Amino acid sequence: MVCQYSEPLYWHIRALVGSHEDADDILQEVFVKVWKALPGFRGESSINTWLWRIATNEALSFLRKQKVRAALSFSSIDAEAERVLDSDPWFDGDEAQRKLAIAVAKLPDKQRAVFCMRYFEELPYEEISAITGTSVGALKASYHQATEKIKASVELAD
Amino acid sequence: MSKKIEYKVPDGYFEDLRTRLSAIPAQEKQPTRFQKFAPYLALAACFAVAVLAGNLILSRTAMPAASEDEIIEYLINSDITLAQIEDYLISNN
Repeated sequence: MVCQYSEPLYWHIRALVGSHEDADDILQEVFVKVWKALPGFRGESSINTWLWRIATNEALSFLRKQKVRAALSFSSIDAEAERVLDSDPWFDGDEAQRKLAIAVAKLPDKQRAVFCMRYFEELPYEEISAITGTSVGALKASYHQATEKIKASVELAD
Repeated sequence: MSKKIEYKVPDGYFEDLRTRLSAIPAQEKQPTRFQKFAPYLALAACFAVAVLAGNLILSRTAMPAASEDEIIEYLINSDITLAQIEDYLISNN
């Protein structure tokens, strides 16, 4: 399982949280939960869906905590997103990619998760629906809204 | 615009990651037999405490058993006749 899923799960989490260090910490937490929950896994969903659901929930939980921390330190979410990306030595993108990464980081958490799974991982809506428990119609609407926000955010930054 | 964001990872990161993740089951200790039965032991202890407390309360609040003399005194002072007492004793033996 580790051999097969650790790398794709890492990239799934990394796309959501941005920072390498955070993605690494979250992935370890994910596997601790997976090992604990594995005896109770009844195969009601595919192992892929199950793992992605745990990883997505863990990453979203991390993002919520990060937002609360930012609010407590009186820094804006936008500034926090830029700070995280600019302080990450493991980001190697050009300016356009930096703008895209920051625009993605500014999305509401669940919308960000939908956008990342659809745009970067190219998962079918049915799979995203199984992972998030959201209907396909709602996911399509969420993805459309996310792309509009990202376009606006990137254009504003230009 | 590229569909991928150019994130990097340190050299050899995924090999190291696989090693670390594979070691998690060994680090996550299996519960001991005591830990498995601890909830049942706690339940049994609660039950025993409840029984002991009930006994203690009853022993402190219950009326003491009447002595034979007290019973006789009561019967004499009541309107019950000897015939009624005899009838009662006969019907219960």
